[in-house]
Amino acid sequence: MQYRGSTGTIVFVAAMLCIPTATQAFDDAIYPALTGQWTRVIVPGAASQPPFDPTKPPGGGQQAPLTPEYQAKFESIIADRAANGLSDVVSTTCLAPGMPMMMQAYEPMQITVLPETTYILVDHIHESHRRIFTDGRQWPNTVQPTFTGYSIGKWIDEDGDGRYDVLEVETRHFKGPRFFDNSGIPLHEDGESVIKERIYLDKVDHNLLHDEITVTDHALMRPWTVMKNYSRTLDPLADWPEYICSEQIPFVRIGNETYKVSRDGYLMPTRTRQQPPDLRYFNQQKK
Amino acid sequence: MLYRSSIGAAALASSLGLTFAGALAFDESKYPDWKGAWRRVAVPGVVGQPSYDPTKRGGQAQEAPLTPEYQAIFEANLKDQAAGGQGTDPTYTCLSPGMPRVMTTFAPFEILVTPQMTNFLIQHIHDSRRIFTDGRDWPKKITPTFVGYSIGRWIDTDGDGRYDVLEIETRGLKGPRSYDPAGLPFHSDNQSIFKERVYSDKVDPNILYDEITTFDHALTRPWTVTKKYSRVPIRQPEWVEEVCAEGNGDIEIGKEGYFLSGDGHLMPTKKDQAPPDLRHFKQDRK
Repeated sequence: MQYRGSTGTIVFVAAMLCIPTATQAFDDAIYPALTGQWTRVIVPGAASQPPFDPTKPPGGGQQAPLTPEYQAKFESIIADRAANGLSDVVSTTCLAPGMPMMMQAYEPMQITVLPETTYILVDHIHESHRRIFTDGRQWPNTVQPTFTGYSIGKWIDEDGDGRYDVLEVETRHFKGPRFFDNSGIPLHEDGESVIKERIYLDKVDHNLLHDEITVTDHALMRPWTVMKNYSRTLDPLADWPEYICSEQIPFVRIGNETYKVSRDGYLMPTRTRQQPPDLRYFNQQKK
Repeated sequence: MLYRSSIGAAALASSLGLTFAGALAFDESKYPDWKGAWRRVAVPGVVGQPSYDPTKRGGQAQEAPLTPEYQAIFEANLKDQAAGGQGTDPTYTCLSPGMPRVMTTFAPFEILVTPQMTNFLIQHIHDSRRIFTDGRDWPKKITPTFVGYSIGRWIDTDGDGRYDVLEIETRGLKGPRSYDPAGLPFHSDNQSIFKERVYSDKVDPNILYDEITTFDHALTRPWTVTKKYSRVPIRQPEWVEEVCAEGNGDIEIGKEGYFLSGDGHLMPTKKDQAPPDLRHFKQDRK
């Protein structure tokens, strides 16, 4: 799981001596043109919510190489949902999907390449900003864990034509809960996932982008690699939707229970025989 | 209130004709250097929650030029807030603060400048903005959003060959929005228009200004304030990830706001507040 940037130490020291106003010259001709809006490519025949591996059916059909412990967790999530429960559904809590789930690009994705950082922006559930640092830095001694993690990238000129064609990314330092997809396939709660990616334009079709993602996680028996594909929206004036989770979902979380709020503003159970919330603080007030 | 980008039609036609692989060449030296992390500059002596006009305290002290109708709404909001309610401040359920409140920048923010677009990445509730600088004109139809639809134009005011001001106009808003946590309201028609001039201090390039003028039917005249930001003097700043839903102790059921206690129980926010109606649970038990 160890990673070292190729130009690491020298660039890092140089960077530390600079103040932000001393910018590098930016020759954007040496980077792939990733501007515009990207949307996920749906595999023909795929139905339902987009799964982590887009080539396979969601849920058990993903054949995630989970450890027995996490396979049992996943099965309990599936059983809860079968009983109309909402356990571990990211979109009912409005928590950030985090990595790697955000790379499903449920909503359109923006990629902005600047010399020091490549930015990946996806506005779904949470306004997720990935910063992939390409300034040659090493891993910091301490990193505040986040849902999207801390990403270091390296541009590669694979064919030696003087232009970068692959962005290799490694991402660490996560917090949770996180899931591979909305079917609830869990990542380990220790937050120690390491996610490696190779992001590159298709050699033939420059409006097609690939992200080969390999997840190494203690909930898995072996690294799990999938390929995500995105197509560029050809309309340069395409709309960028604003996704406000709390506006979209009719659920509220009280203690460990999830309830629904009806259209006319009343609290409702989300599963049969669910107890209403404890109103002890209101009762005390009425004494 | 009409706005037309000076390079509108020609550049739009040009951009429509471009393939993305041949995107606009980016001569970074033509743009101001706004890299790094920026944070708002607090005005000495102005205390409390950050207000919309940062030179004045929040609430009535802002002296917002509200119409009598909206002044009354604002005062009713202040009474509700004094009683423990949220008044007309809608962000407690993690709704986006929207424009222009996002420019109060509760957290450090980053500005990404590229020829086609400038992004303000403000990690707070849901505060980030896209400013289109590709020469487009206003679309015929805009889907309203809290941050609005922003078109910008770079200006070289001193003719030195380098842009120094980003002029922005923002329309296509939705609500509810308020200027600040004190609940200063916008008109419910959401027809606000914002015009901004974003520029660096001429002496100190680590100081940035955003002069914001608001046109809104809840105002008796346009209202202009200037926000000031300073660049964080760290080459590799730490970017905090704010997830509003995480640890948010406020909850809304119907039109009522409640607190969640530390032990996960529902609590009133106001004296004598009624608990939520649980009629659907009673029906369940029949």
